[in-house]
Amino acid sequence: MNPSIKLLLLFIIALEISFTTIISLNVALIVLAIAYLLIHHTKLRTIGWLLIVPLLPAIGLWSTQYINGSGNKTLMAWVLFSRIYTFVFTGATFTLTTNILQLADSLEQNWHLPAKFAYGVLAAYNLVPKIQHEVKIIRAAGLMRGQQLSFWSPKLYFKAVLVSINWSQNLAQAMVSHGFVEDAPRTHFRHCPLVWQDWAIFTVSIILMQVGAFLLPWH
Amino acid sequence: MANIALKNLTYTYPEAQAPTLNHVQLTFKAHQFTLLTGPSGTGKSTLLKLMTGLLNLPSDQGTISYDGQPLSQIDPTMRAGQVALMFQNPNQQFAMDTVENELIFALENRRVQPDKIAEKITTALAFVEISNLRSRELNQLSGGEKQKVALAVIVAMDSDVILLDEPFASVDPAARTSLLKRLVQLRDDAGKTIILADHDLTDYATIVDQVVRITADRQLTTMPTADWPNLFAAFAKTNHSDQLWPLPTEPQTPLFRFNQLGLKQGQHELLRTTDLMLLQHHNTLITGPNGSGKSTLFESLVRLTTYDGQITYLNNDIKTLRRKRYARQVALLFQDAETQFLNITVAEELAQSKKYAYGNYFTSTRIALAMTQLNLTGHEDQVIYTLSEGQKKKLQILLMLIMQSPVLLMDEPLKGLDLKSVRALVSLLKSTIAVTKQTLIIISHQLTGLTPLIDYHLRFDHQQLTYREAIE
Amino acid sequence: MKWAKAWRLSDIILIALIGIFFGAIFMGTNYVYDVLTAALAPVGLSGLANELLLGLWCMPGMLAGYVLRLKGSATLGELLAATVEMFFGGQWGISTLISGVTQGFGAELGYIVTRYKHYDWLGLTASVLTTTLVTFGWDLARNGYFKLQLWLLILYFVVRFCSMFLFGGVLTRLITDMLDRSHVLKSTHTNN
Repeated sequence: MNPSIKLLLLFIIALEISFTTIISLNVALIVLAIAYLLIHHTKLRTIGWLLIVPLLPAIGLWSTQYINGSGNKTLMAWVLFSRIYTFVFTGATFTLTTNILQLADSLEQNWHLPAKFAYGVLAAYNLVPKIQHEVKIIRAAGLMRGQQLSFWSPKLYFKAVLVSINWSQNLAQAMVSHGFVEDAPRTHFRHCPLVWQDWAIFTVSIILMQVGAFLLPWH
Repeated sequence: MANIALKNLTYTYPEAQAPTLNHVQLTFKAHQFTLLTGPSGTGKSTLLKLMTGLLNLPSDQGTISYDGQPLSQIDPTMRAGQVALMFQNPNQQFAMDTVENELIFALENRRVQPDKIAEKITTALAFVEISNLRSRELNQLSGGEKQKVALAVIVAMDSDVILLDEPFASVDPAARTSLLKRLVQLRDDAGKTIILADHDLTDYATIVDQVVRITADRQLTTMPTADWPNLFAAFAKTNHSDQLWPLPTEPQTPLFRFNQLGLKQGQHELLRTTDLMLLQHHNTLITGPNGSGKSTLFESLVRLTTYDGQITYLNNDIKTLRRKRYARQVALLFQDAETQFLNITVAEELAQSKKYAYGNYFTSTRIALAMTQLNLTGHEDQVIYTLSEGQKKKLQILLMLIMQSPVLLMDEPLKGLDLKSVRALVSLLKSTIAVTKQTLIIISHQLTGLTPLIDYHLRFDHQQLTYREAIE
Repeated sequence: MKWAKAWRLSDIILIALIGIFFGAIFMGTNYVYDVLTAALAPVGLSGLANELLLGLWCMPGMLAGYVLRLKGSATLGELLAATVEMFFGGQWGISTLISGVTQGFGAELGYIVTRYKHYDWLGLTASVLTTTLVTFGWDLARNGYFKLQLWLLILYFVVRFCSMFLFGGVLTRLITDMLDRSHVLKSTHTNN
C-alpha cells in the first residue's frame, strides 16, 4: 500500500480511537493489526516485545482511572489500557513494514513535498547512530573536566546544539556537492505509485471504522 | 574541460578580523593535477568551497570563472556537472543510508533518466573498484571505503573539475594509493581537472603537474618545479626521526594491560587479538598510518567504544570502574579541540579546569605564565569559538594539563600548530609532568619537536600493535 | 509554496538534528519514567511520571522556534523529532506523530501570540503556557483525563505547567543564553 496513504489512514484511526471509549473496537483493531503483521512475516519475538513494552504505562493508565476516575471507572480503565495497545499495534503496521525512505519517496512524489524536506530529514535520520555516540562523547568530555552532565544540564544541550549546527552545515554542503539544488526538479529512480486501489482500501477502511465506532452494538 | 581563473579573490569570514584569502590571482589549467598545499587552517578549505559555490563570494570581492564564465552566472543545477568537492571528514558527506542509494540520490539530482541510473552506478563503482560495496550501509564502512564511495559519486556525476579537501585524513595507505591511482586515471583518460589540498605531501612528487602554495600573506603562488625536491624532502623530515627508543621491560604494575584485545570498525578488523602493556610514568608515542585504528584504540581506553577482550587499568578491569572516577584518572585530549570545551569564554574554561583539577600544581600564577608561554594572554575574555584553530588547540591542551589527571591520552596534539607553538607546548608539557608525574600517551604524525618527550614507541600497523625502537 | 521557500536545506537538517540529539539524551530518562510509573501505579497516580517529564519532550519545539526564527519552525522541529522517533525504536507508533504535532503547535502558538517578535522571556513564557494548554487539552481525550476527579486533574495540570516551565522555560532559556553568548547563531536564519 502507498506509504503516505497508509500513514494518513492510521493517523485518522489513532485520532478517532482517542475520542471513542469502546473496548471491543480497540481489541478488534489490535487483532486486525496483529493479523496484518503476521501476514507480513513479522517475527513472533517482535510481537511479544510489543506486548511487553507498553505494559507498564498501560497499567499506570489503568490504575489511575480505576482508583481516581469518575463515572464508570472500570470501563474507562480498560478503555485506556486497550487504547495504548491499539496505538502500539496499529503504529507497528506502519513502522515495521515501511521505512523512512519509502515514506520520503511517497511524500515527495505523490504530494510534492519539497525535496529539501524529504532529503534533509533523511540525512539527519541516517546520522542517528553517530548522534548516539556523540552524546556519549559529550558526557565523557564533561566527566574528564570534572563535570557530570545530566539531562537537566544546559551545557549538555548547548554542546548538542553546537554539534548540530556544525553537522547541518557540513551535510548541506555535502548534499549540494552531490548535485542537490533546493527547489529544482529531480528525476526519480524509485517509483512510488499512488493508484486507485490505495484510495479504495483507504475509503473502505474509513467506512468500516465509522461502522465500528457508531453503528455496531458492541455491548 | 575547464580553465579556472581566480581574479583578485578576497574572502573574509563574518566574525574574522583578517581576510582568509587576500587578493588571490591564479589560473588552474584544464586537465592538470594540482596539489594545493600550506599548513592546516590557512584557507585551503575556504578556497575550495568558494570554487564549488558552497560559500558565496560577495560580488565586489573578485571573481572565480570556469572558461571565462563566472561561477555566479552558472546555473546552480549545472554546477555539479562542472565542479564537485570531496570533503575531509568522510562522516558527514552522505545523505542516504547505503552506497547505492547515495549514488541514486546524486544522479537524480543531476536529472539522469531513471533507466540510465543503474548502469551509471555499475560503471562508477567498477571504476573505483568497489562494486562489492554497492548495497552496504555507509555507516559500516571504513574511512578509506567511504572516500572511495565519495569518488564514485563524483565519477558518476561526471563532474569536469574534481576538488579534494585533505581527502586522506582518515584513509589507510592502501586505499590512499588506490584513490590516487584513480585520480591520475581520471586526468589522463577522462581529461578531468583535479585540485587536491593536502598538508601531507607523501607520494605526490611524481604525480602532480602543478604545486600551488598558500603563502603567509594569504595569497597563492605556483612553485617552480625546481623547488619541488626541497619541498617534498622538507616534509618527509617532519614525519621522521632518527632517534631510537628502548623496548620496555615487564613492569611490576602496568598502567594498562591488554588481554586478548581486539578492535573492529563495522565489519573491518582494526586490531588482531593482542596482549600488551603500557607503562606508568613513562610517555609512549603511538605512530601508524591513517585509518589504522589509533583513535579507536584511545576511544576504547576511555570506554567510548566497544572492544573484544579485556583492558585493565592498574590491574582493574576498566569496565568494572565507576565512569566518573575513571574519567578523573584517564582523560582524553580529543582530536577536535571544540569537543573538549564546555563554556563560552577562555576565562570560564580556565576557571572550570582549575576548580575541578585533580592536583594543585596549576596555581593562578602558573596558569598566567602558561598563557604567556602559549601566546594566549589577552584572549581571556574572548569567546572560544572565535579563536583560530591553533589557539583552540593550545587552549585545549592547557585545560587538560590543568586538570592533572594521572593519565592523559593525546590524539594528534600538534595538528595544525606552527613550529613555534609546538616548541612552546612541548616545553610546557615537559616542565609540568616533571613535577606532576603524569603519564602521557600520544598519537602523532608530526614528530618534529615532540621526540624529547617520548620514552617508548608503539607502532600500530597492519592490525598489529607492537613496541619498536625506530620510526620506519 | 511561499512558506517553504524561506527554509534552507541546512535549516531543515539543523532542526531535525536538534530533535534527534535531544531525543537521544531523553532516552536516558526512561528509567526515571519507569520507576516513577511503577511506584505510583498502586495509588493511581502514575500519570505524574508523564507530567513531570513532559516538559523535556517539548524542549526541541521551543528551542527550534528560538534558534530558527521562521514561521512553523517550532511545529516542524517537534514533528521531525517525532517522525524520527517513530521510525527509530519508538514503540508508540502514530500517536508519537500526533503528540509531536500537538506539542510543536503548542510551542508555536506561544511565538504566534507574541507575533514572532519576542525571542526572550516573554516569547518563551507564552510558549510554555500555550504548550501546557494545548497538550493538556489533547490528554483530556487521549489519556482519558476528562474522566479524572477534579483534584487530580488540577494536580496534573499544575505539575505539567511546572515541568514545562522548568524544562521548556528555564532550561531552554539557559541554553539559548549560552547560544547567544557564543555567537554561533549569527549564521542561522531569521524571517523578518
